[in-house]
Amino acid sequence: MTMAMWGYVILAYGIVWGAILLYAVALKRRYRAAEHELQRLSDAKEFQEHAKA
Amino acid sequence: MPQVTGKKRKGILGAATLVFIIAGLYWGLIKAPPDAYQGDSQRIMYLHIPSILTAYLSFFLVFLGSCLYLWKREKRDDNLAHAAAEIGVLFTALTIIEGSIWGRPTWGVWWTWDARLTLTAILLLIFIGYLMLRALVEDESRAASSAAILGIIGFLDIPLIHMSVYWWRTLHQPPSILRPDKVPWENIHPELLTALAINFVAFVLLYFYLLSHRLRLSEMREEIKARRMN
Repeated sequence: MTMAMWGYVILAYGIVWGAILLYAVALKRRYRAAEHELQRLSDAKEFQEHAKA
Repeated sequence: MPQVTGKKRKGILGAATLVFIIAGLYWGLIKAPPDAYQGDSQRIMYLHIPSILTAYLSFFLVFLGSCLYLWKREKRDDNLAHAAAEIGVLFTALTIIEGSIWGRPTWGVWWTWDARLTLTAILLLIFIGYLMLRALVEDESRAASSAAILGIIGFLDIPLIHMSVYWWRTLHQPPSILRPDKVPWENIHPELLTALAINFVAFVLLYFYLLSHRLRLSEMREEIKARRMN
């Protein structure tokens, strides 16, 4: 009885923390991609300014 | 300089979140005693109540951001509503999953069309619709206005969810925390209440940690769009 109850508890805690971790990782990836894109745009702008000069 | 301060603040928030998550797991799984009637399955409560309260907080921010956007038309408010909706959907989905797992040993079923459960599922569907609307409508201003209206309507489901256990005969128990006739410590044993409080703080901190990163992501995307236009 008690072990069966622990099965439900472990399942719930596993799914919750697993899902939150997955969301945090996905958010971090989107965040990194945006940072890289911003950096790329800055570099491109700098390159254009140098070319003009 | 403000970026450095922001990063430092996020670091402190992240560290505090981690400490409370570990403390919450310790109190919830080890320190708190099992419930006299439900046994160890009651430990799911330490996830279930914090998740739904965090989802309510999230949808309140959607409501606030949506009202402000419709009033002032500032992108910042729309970004807040959008970010809060995304995280709110996550916490609502988790609440339903936890409830289902807890329901199996307690009620004998994974799901029942009980008023509270059904209204919570409707809340989830409304905000999944909100996110789909934002993804599918190309005209940004139109998407933001329509989503703001849907966000306000969706938030109105929360008082219905809360009151459903009083208004209808349901399988779900009445509220343990947010009830008008009793204070929480009259209703729950102090050791169980402590575990619940620590987990609630952990979830709220985690929520604001995720929200701060999600908001920064929106800002960066705005910046990318602005730079591409120039």
